[in-house]
Amino acid sequence: MTGGQVFLAVIALVAFGFCLRRGPGSARRAVVDTGQGLWKILPIFAVALPMAAFLAELIPADAAVAWIGPESGVSGVVVASFAGGLMPGGPFVTFPLVLAFAKAGAGVPQMAALITGWSIFALHRIITWEYPILGWRFVAIRLIAAAPLPIVAGLLAEAVVAVLPIGLGRP
Amino acid sequence: MVIAAIGIAAAAALWRRDGAPAVGAALYHAWELFLFIAPSLLAGLLLAAALRQLVSPGALARWMGAESGWFGLAVATLAGALTPGGPMAAFPLVLVLAGAGADRGALVAYILSWALNGFQKLLVYEMPLLGPDFAIMRTLVTLPMPMIAGYIARRLPIAWEPPK
Repeated sequence: MTGGQVFLAVIALVAFGFCLRRGPGSARRAVVDTGQGLWKILPIFAVALPMAAFLAELIPADAAVAWIGPESGVSGVVVASFAGGLMPGGPFVTFPLVLAFAKAGAGVPQMAALITGWSIFALHRIITWEYPILGWRFVAIRLIAAAPLPIVAGLLAEAVVAVLPIGLGRP
Repeated sequence: MVIAAIGIAAAAALWRRDGAPAVGAALYHAWELFLFIAPSLLAGLLLAAALRQLVSPGALARWMGAESGWFGLAVATLAGALTPGGPMAAFPLVLVLAGAGADRGALVAYILSWALNGFQKLLVYEMPLLGPDFAIMRTLVTLPMPMIAGYIARRLPIAWEPPK
């Protein structure tokens, strides 16, 4: 286990401790909820992880380096931001794909920009949820206000990675 | 279903190019990856479940009005990050918040915070798959962004009324 994994486990146990203090009912619901979550997630991972592994084998090792590699700098961050906005589907598609990109040589700042772009712009979510519920004026307000953020996120991540060596996926 | 289709297509392509051993090796990589992420996955699911027992984002709406300033945007950002589940859970809550008095800046901050740093997505997918180091770094970098976007959204000259 890595340090980050231990940290996450400790936080989870602390939160579960708060549930216990609330009463046994609360704690039992949290455990049941965890089990149900696991039950829902496992089939998704059973499909998504092999997909990511196949794609990682298919994509040549240096295919992504020129466009969104660690040396691609600002232009790579911009490309990744837009690509993220066009990626369809929920987190169970996006994160395994990011993992495949990382194996193909994508840089850490570029992947931070890609995830941010996907989170903010996700076209499919705008079309199916935001536009019908809140209207196009709201969509316009939100997109204008948030448009530069993926690029900013990528540049900030680049500054962080220059100081702290942070990798993607398995160390 | 979509991932299954992509996965099968990719497996077939790999088979044609490199033969069956390559497919087997890729499957073995996937299994190794799963073993590696399993501890984070369990911890993430437990934390997400415990948080759902402890907090309810809707209760924070009364601090998110148009006069709430940066504090309201910060509350909206917190509420967004604490909202569990996918869009089918979050967007109905947006309507609840709007009805309870949240202004458009707060709603923009709320949606962005949920989309960027929703704890469930973070704990169940990003931390296990991409590693806690990357996930924590990306979260810290993007943490103030919903507030900034909400601040800008309050000043954009586009008329918008919350749906009734």
